[in-house]
Amino acid sequence: MTPRPPRWSSAEERDALARAAATGEPSRPPAAEEPVPAGLSRRGFLAAVGFSAGALAACARAPERVTAAPGEAPEHAPSGGARWFSTTCGACPAGCGLLVKTKDGRPIKVEGNPAHPVSRGGVCAVGQASVLSLYDSRRLRSPRVDGRDTDLAAADAAVRKAVASGGAVRVLTATVTSPSTRAAVARWLAGVPDGRHVEVDPLSASAALAAHEAAFGVRALPRVRLERAEAVLAVDCDVLGTWVSPVEHTRGWAAARDLGAPTPRLSWHGQAESVLTLSGSNADRRVRVSPGNVPALVAHLVHRVAQRTGGAAPSPADPCPVAEDFVEDSVRRLVEHKGRSVLLCGTNDLDVQRLVLLANERLGAYGGVLDLAAPSLQRRGDDAAWAALLDELDAGKVATLVVAGVNPVVELPAGRRFAAAAAKVPVRVVVAERPDETVALATVAVPAPHFLEAFDDAEPVAGVVSLSQPTVQPLVRARTLRACVAAWTGAPEPDLDLVRAHFEREVAPKQAADASPGRAFRRALRDGFVETAPAAPAAPVLRGDAVPATAPRAKPPAAGRLVVALFPSVALLDGRHAWNPWLQELPDPVTKQTWGNAACIAPETAAALSAKDGDVLRLSGDDGTAIELPAVVVPGTARGTVGVALGHGRLGTERFERVGPRWLEARPTTGRDGRVGTDASAFLALVGGLARPSGAEVRVERTGATDVVARTQTWSSLTMPTATAPHGGERRDPVRETTLAAWKADPRAGNPAAHHGPGLWEGLRAAGPRWGLVVDLTKCTGCSACVVACQAENNVPVVGRDEVARGRDMAWLRVDRYFADVEGAPGEVEVVHQPLPCQHCGNAPCEVVCPVLATSHSEDGRNEQTYNRCVGTRYCANNCPYKVRRFNWFGYGSHDTWADLVLNPDVTVRERGVMEKCSFCVQRVSEARAEARREGRALADGDVRTACQQSCPAGALVFGDVTDATSAAARAAKDPRRYRVLEELNVDPAVSYLVKVRERPLDGAPKEGPHHG
Amino acid sequence: MASLAVGTAARPASPAHGPGHDRGHGPADDGPPLVEGRKSLADVTATVVSPLERRPRPVWYAGLAVSLVLLGVGAASVWHLLATGIGVWGLNKTVGWAFDITNFVFWVGIGHAGTLISAILLLFRQRWRTSINRAAEAMTIFAVCCAGLFPLLHMGRPWFAYWVFPYPNTRGSLWPNFRSPLLWDVFAIGTYLTISALFWFSGLLPDFATLRDRAKGRLPRSLYGALSLGWRGTTKQWQRHEALSLLLAGLATPLVLSVHSVVSFDFATSVIPGWHATIFPPYFVAGAVFSGFGMVLTLLLVARKAMGLEAFITKGHVDRMCKVLLSMACIVGLAYATELFVAWWSGNPYEQFAFLNRAFGPFGWAYAIMVGCNVLVPQLLWSKRVRANLLVVFVLSLLVNVGMWFERFVIIVTSLHRDYLPSSWADYAPTLPEVGLFLGSFGLFFTLFLLFCRFVPVVAMAEVKATLVHEQGGAHGTGGAS
Repeated sequence: MTPRPPRWSSAEERDALARAAATGEPSRPPAAEEPVPAGLSRRGFLAAVGFSAGALAACARAPERVTAAPGEAPEHAPSGGARWFSTTCGACPAGCGLLVKTKDGRPIKVEGNPAHPVSRGGVCAVGQASVLSLYDSRRLRSPRVDGRDTDLAAADAAVRKAVASGGAVRVLTATVTSPSTRAAVARWLAGVPDGRHVEVDPLSASAALAAHEAAFGVRALPRVRLERAEAVLAVDCDVLGTWVSPVEHTRGWAAARDLGAPTPRLSWHGQAESVLTLSGSNADRRVRVSPGNVPALVAHLVHRVAQRTGGAAPSPADPCPVAEDFVEDSVRRLVEHKGRSVLLCGTNDLDVQRLVLLANERLGAYGGVLDLAAPSLQRRGDDAAWAALLDELDAGKVATLVVAGVNPVVELPAGRRFAAAAAKVPVRVVVAERPDETVALATVAVPAPHFLEAFDDAEPVAGVVSLSQPTVQPLVRARTLRACVAAWTGAPEPDLDLVRAHFEREVAPKQAADASPGRAFRRALRDGFVETAPAAPAAPVLRGDAVPATAPRAKPPAAGRLVVALFPSVALLDGRHAWNPWLQELPDPVTKQTWGNAACIAPETAAALSAKDGDVLRLSGDDGTAIELPAVVVPGTARGTVGVALGHGRLGTERFERVGPRWLEARPTTGRDGRVGTDASAFLALVGGLARPSGAEVRVERTGATDVVARTQTWSSLTMPTATAPHGGERRDPVRETTLAAWKADPRAGNPAAHHGPGLWEGLRAAGPRWGLVVDLTKCTGCSACVVACQAENNVPVVGRDEVARGRDMAWLRVDRYFADVEGAPGEVEVVHQPLPCQHCGNAPCEVVCPVLATSHSEDGRNEQTYNRCVGTRYCANNCPYKVRRFNWFGYGSHDTWADLVLNPDVTVRERGVMEKCSFCVQRVSEARAEARREGRALADGDVRTACQQSCPAGALVFGDVTDATSAAARAAKDPRRYRVLEELNVDPAVSYLVKVRERPLDGAPKEGPHHG
Repeated sequence: MASLAVGTAARPASPAHGPGHDRGHGPADDGPPLVEGRKSLADVTATVVSPLERRPRPVWYAGLAVSLVLLGVGAASVWHLLATGIGVWGLNKTVGWAFDITNFVFWVGIGHAGTLISAILLLFRQRWRTSINRAAEAMTIFAVCCAGLFPLLHMGRPWFAYWVFPYPNTRGSLWPNFRSPLLWDVFAIGTYLTISALFWFSGLLPDFATLRDRAKGRLPRSLYGALSLGWRGTTKQWQRHEALSLLLAGLATPLVLSVHSVVSFDFATSVIPGWHATIFPPYFVAGAVFSGFGMVLTLLLVARKAMGLEAFITKGHVDRMCKVLLSMACIVGLAYATELFVAWWSGNPYEQFAFLNRAFGPFGWAYAIMVGCNVLVPQLLWSKRVRANLLVVFVLSLLVNVGMWFERFVIIVTSLHRDYLPSSWADYAPTLPEVGLFLGSFGLFFTLFLLFCRFVPVVAMAEVKATLVHEQGGAHGTGGAS
């Protein structure tokens, strides 16, 4: 894992690198393009940047403030103190707002920007982990022309020469949310004879865009405002996990399911899908439907919606593929809440999307839950343009191809065809962060900066312009696509100028007129975003011919074939984060698998194949494509469907072979082909000009081999195994649930009071604050953002596949996930998620048993672990009823000097042989306390926000002093739904949970026997 | 003059020296003679000492070679462990102890018989103990040494093991946590090892003196001379020796109960179902006596044959030890049944699950071995014919050791691997370094025991002579009387 020493090109630079190595500063070559005088420090650089902005605005305020976050006074920031910057997350096109914490000049943690209109303070797991990608020592570090490292000037010359020699120029990107980049690309292409910008999304919503364009004349996805919904039905759409803007959706979803609000709400959420997703696991009611039956299901749903709302819709031609009462119940609820209901569908099929649009129109969703006046701009990709580009490439009509922000070989449909056809393009320019599969095809490769290194802007939803600013001097000689095309246009300008110029030209005029454009930009940088008046204040109107004549038909697979359903995983999405070890080790919220993907099959399918978890399955298509990967039985998977997560088996994951410790019986983290997981993109087809992630028909057979499936949780039921359950069976209740109807009748429903015996420890607790955490299980989706947030904040090491498989993952905060069968609906599954950190017991069993007092109780009610006193007997972990303690079985140092830069200097890196666990972010508590003392005041509620709480997209975690009756945590703890896990043991945990309330299938509906189609 | 050789070391043989002197004398025993073949006191010395004075037989070398190989395997395992980390064991976030503490409790249990035979049987005047107490005490000490390895090595940072001792330091002073059962273990085992070693060594003094007197070379003479601490066999010395023996016996007796009671507190004071049980102290003590006697039998049956000590370790001894074994098997069986009954009677579902999981869960096979070896198989000992068949007894004693090892494994691993929250349930399988260390502990034990057989009288000559004098009414007392 030791990276090569940084390159240097002059004696001065070499000496600077040596100094940097000695002082622990990031080793960085000077940025080639930004206007930074040689030898300027980071602080000086930022000052210069700020000054240039400030000087242009003729503003006398301290220039550094330009790049600081709200509420911060950088002139007081002492050395070693944290500095915060507002920026925009670039980990996916959703465009969430971030506050980036930097220490000693290096970003170490991203947090949600609470004011940001898209994410409203939430950050997903991917966003949390993105800071680690900055310190990826295998990033593309310098431009390459024909395989040789060179400088940007040489790369520019190569591109300019190619363009000057004539021929078609094509720019291929994923959705570009940056308006200045779009403008720059357009400017460049306007100056070349035959230039075109093709946007294609790996997770395509092309059909939905086309449907909206046809119906409304607006090629955009409506912004989904789930906070306005009373009934949501999602079909084949992981709206909370991976679809378009998960954080935004989760915020809204949780807001609509808030039983602790002054006016309690619980909007209904139904889900029909082929593979159990995060959204499906949180639905009030979920049914499984195979990918081929989705069109038939949608046809039935829409037909009935139309029937009930008095509109026209084509009659379904197939029998209903799911339980009749599910369709009936869902439609009834959707129609009942007309104007506050929505049907969401992620299927990339034009016929289906037209029907869905029709239903939403009938339901009054447009203008209600779906906002088309200020639509989402997070997906703009056009699959047809991609198909056309492939044809052009095949025909050899493209002279220069520029690829940026996408890895078409493995992320786009027909990627292999692209790889073959791209060879016919004389000049292939790739702007990318990492040497991936597409960079391998490039004649000119330009390193792209990480989003924490560059100025950028984004307009994720119409009317919200979100800005990015560098939080560190670039670690590599990188340049954005925008700066590249500007250079190729002949007007090389740094990103700051390009972004600011665009802002002042396009955005500032739309704002309130009280500020000069320069001041507006400065304020926008500081805030991280600006909101502008929407271009079209009224929602577009539906055009006449929106009703399709015929309903789409089901597409059952051929006999003996199973259908592959490809889905983005919550951690890796389409694979753009496959190089991030935090995300590789993040347990999938559903399968709890780390370091790889699997063939997710239903229990019935597993029985038919006589396969069990870990048996390697061979999936072979009729066209000769075949992949092998281990089976994982996931209840709730549609029959005849094989779910495979995208984004695995990527080039470059070979380096994770030795990510874990080395010892006698250690096994590598990589599979037989040397990579992590299996690449399933061969089944990602392009059918009729649309990407089709699900639908490839395959034969499935066991190879007889077995593979390691590293899961952090192997027992998934709260019901004890029959052979060992006490008489009458036993169901444990760490997760308590009830139905909405029962909760309305009695707010204590499903929450029996714990029995308290006499205690020996009563009256021994010191008075004073007691920190506590309240987790609302009704809101928590199990998205696992908190898990990565905790890992980033607390320097939790990555241990590799083998160690996880051996049950030695190190996560301080885990999310337990339990499955349960649904009564009367065989094959369906209910899922609960429960984040479980150290419970900070008042009568902690761990504290009494440590022979050396390495774990003790703090005066503010936390259970503390003193690493340098620990001798490692593990008695505390054995005696922990929650099993939250984690032991350093080995020395887990990364030995990667780049990756180590992400470490939080406020948190000890633990040595081999000591125990560790959640500390309730003691470093944050101490910092807040010191700050309050300095200001001569008492700690106020909200001064301390733990890492897990800060960025929870659902706002499900509330931390605070529970002895202070006015604190949010104390108020949350007054909820009658509150309970504590294993309270009967009288360990007095400080973490409490609020009972999960779901609207059970037939709550408030006429009783019907369930049937299955 | 034979009496010189014997007499210097042997105690004055007259029973008339008073009750304080009749170490090993008990009520008249109706059983078979405790020393067979009408030995003279000189014969006793000659037989016991002869293996020490001649070159060892090939079988001793073979045994030592095997033991050293095992010890080497253990050393390699320890090296890998210390160089790499506890991760070389198969433990995980749920099962924090397995082979390590299983082996610790196993060896501590084995170490139990020594004190029991030395101290309690002495106080109860069981004369038959004299032939076996030396070997049993040696076994105790070696077993406790093996046991001590595991708590030391199971630490994540064994180089800080000294932090468990309450010593003044510059950290505050920072004392250990006196509430922790692990700390109680440190004191209990430490005390036990000290007393056992003192007891063993003080009993050895007269025999070392005999060896010194018989030694031919200068080196052995000076070594044994130093070890005998100037023992001359004077009446005063015998008096003090007797007094010391009784004192140590009195000190050691509560230890028999305390050591394993304290070890059981590691589990009994926890909150883990399957560990948290008030029955543990007596249950563990009975189990320890059981496994200790099992191991004594195993070793003595071999030593008796290999070293030609059939006259001293008679079938009568074996028969008595078998009876102890049988009674302990019944107590242990009762404890198992009580555990199950209490789990059912408690109405505590966690407790009930823990025991059902023990019997029928993934480690049900281990539970079956435990019950089979510890309760069912020993029932054969009701038959006198079985007790008289030394081969059967030998196999049986081995099975008892296997069963008792699995008892500890079952208690530790099955309780941990599926406790309160099903999300954390895990399995456990040992790794090579873990098995290697276990084998290594046997290597250490047998290496020490073989060296003991070679350099120290395996039978307490002085005490056997006293028994002899008592049994033969002094009529044969050619040696010691003068």
